[in-house]
Amino acid sequence: MNTVIYLRLGVGNLWLHPTRTGLTLLALVIGIGALGFLSAMMNGMMTNMKSNFVLNEMGHLQIHAKGFEQQRKIELHLNNTETIDAMLAQTPAVRAWSHRLRVSGMASAAGSSATALISGIEAEQESRVSRLREFLVQGAWLRPTQLRDAVLGKVLAERLRLDIGDKLVLMAVAPDGDVMSEVFRLRGTIASGAMEMDNTTVLINLKAAQAWMNLGAGVTDVVIRCRSFADVNPLAQQLRQQLDGHDVEVLRWMDIDPMAEQWTRFNDAYSWVIMAVVMIVILAEVLNTMLMSMHDRLHELGLMAALGTSQGAMFAMVIWETLVLVTLGGVLGFALGYAFTAWYAVHGIDLSRYAEAFSFMYIEPVVYPAMEWQQTLHMMGAALSGACLAGMYPAWQASRLDPVQAMRE
Amino acid sequence: MDQALIQGCGLKKYYQSGNTRTAALNGVNFSLQRGAFTVLAGRSGSGKTTLLNMIGLLDRPDEGSLRIAGEDVLAISRRQRANFRLRRIGFIFQAYNLIRVLSARENVAYVQQLRGMKKKQRLELADYWLAQVDLAGLGDRRPDQLSGGQQQRVAVARALASQPEIILADEPTANLDSHNGESLMALMRRLNERENTTFLIASHDPVAMDAARELVSMQDGVMIDRVLRE
Repeated sequence: MNTVIYLRLGVGNLWLHPTRTGLTLLALVIGIGALGFLSAMMNGMMTNMKSNFVLNEMGHLQIHAKGFEQQRKIELHLNNTETIDAMLAQTPAVRAWSHRLRVSGMASAAGSSATALISGIEAEQESRVSRLREFLVQGAWLRPTQLRDAVLGKVLAERLRLDIGDKLVLMAVAPDGDVMSEVFRLRGTIASGAMEMDNTTVLINLKAAQAWMNLGAGVTDVVIRCRSFADVNPLAQQLRQQLDGHDVEVLRWMDIDPMAEQWTRFNDAYSWVIMAVVMIVILAEVLNTMLMSMHDRLHELGLMAALGTSQGAMFAMVIWETLVLVTLGGVLGFALGYAFTAWYAVHGIDLSRYAEAFSFMYIEPVVYPAMEWQQTLHMMGAALSGACLAGMYPAWQASRLDPVQAMRE
Repeated sequence: MDQALIQGCGLKKYYQSGNTRTAALNGVNFSLQRGAFTVLAGRSGSGKTTLLNMIGLLDRPDEGSLRIAGEDVLAISRRQRANFRLRRIGFIFQAYNLIRVLSARENVAYVQQLRGMKKKQRLELADYWLAQVDLAGLGDRRPDQLSGGQQQRVAVARALASQPEIILADEPTANLDSHNGESLMALMRRLNERENTTFLIASHDPVAMDAARELVSMQDGVMIDRVLRE
């Protein structure tokens, strides 16, 4: 098969000028390696952000009374969650779920007051659904039996000048329109790094919130944690079908707050732009190398054409040569990128210096890059397609060579 | 008399340089019989290489007709011309005649590979022809490991290995010393006699002219003399 001879010629021709080929290879290896590592790093950051964004508080899915998410009125609550609980208990994709009662109100202490997002939570069950408990920086977590316990966002507690054990008053409007107030005692503070959360969060026991708001067993949210992100869409679809007619809304994390999803998409688009720019630079280098190589071998190419090598074969020969170069550079580049990724996946990239800048984006200061094979294959495909594209012009020129003119060179 | 292997009538070729039009061939009538060993002689610019390129289907005349083995080769497409060269014409050029990254054996086998011959068969054939040109045992050498004379012998072996109807050689001795030049011409002449392969050689080297069985002299794009030496 003639492919063998074209490959043989391709490899041989590349090594006719080892310095030139070596430099081009080096550019390919560094470019593609850096691209692979950068992509793995961004991937690690985005996975971390998505995971933190969802697990900090929101959960993968939430079930509310219809319209609650938009209106945020406590009147729109679920009176009874027995049916939903039974359904979730039988669904393998559900890792855990918890109930909350959310209401906007005011927190006051010793002459200071601030708006607050008050959440009644199930103290123990909440830890299986969110990371709220992990953010505890001072004091202790809510005790399920102590209905006057309150945990506040660190910034909010500071604004109210509260110390552990101090009293605070929470005020909110109950479903019947009455303004209700209740005294709680600061049990602990949390710091998530997300400004809004640290500035407004008040956590109390669910039972305390239900009693305070006269809601009986009513809750505003059923917060669900799935086994993986891949379960979110199918589970949402399944629950929507099962709860059809129950006057509830089943919302995915990206329906509730599309920010993380938009960031992920923006990152994807940004990564593609970077990849395209790097690829263009690399392929320009490849094109330059191939044109120089062709120019050097003009006489030889003319000879080959004179001997009866067809136009198609001349074209294929140059394309093969380009592919050999880019495949070699691509494989070595990805190996380099993978090696860096594998090392940093264990040891992490410490970006603590920029921790504050990252915290509002839910990204932890130590990033663990993660290479996605699908993305890697896309890049490899793009590199090879680009190589074919870069090789087209010199290949076309080779196929159009006039043997007599070429041999005069 | 047998039909001529090559029959060219009124062949004209012009080159434009600025406002000047130069006739490289100015109405050449040319024929060549099978088994000939003909040397086209003439000074540089006489038109011999242009005529050789035309017969080798590397160039086209502006006027005239050309038939090879009865086929009107001016009527065929570029692709068909490449195929015609591959299957029916062998070439020996002045210098740098070989593919640098292939060994001598692979160079000889290159045309057979393009023709689709199996590897074992084509390499055996290459070794056979390398032996015929006194290069037995040098098949693994790269062109840069061979002398100029040896490189030209490899080119002769490549041309012969494809068993073409005609071998065209353009100044084959130009880059060789007189000893290697004589040796190469003697080799080609021997192969012509033994294999009855047709040779058409463009050269102004006296060594080549001495070896010719037929000498065609050209000047200013026209044929001025034709001498049968035997």
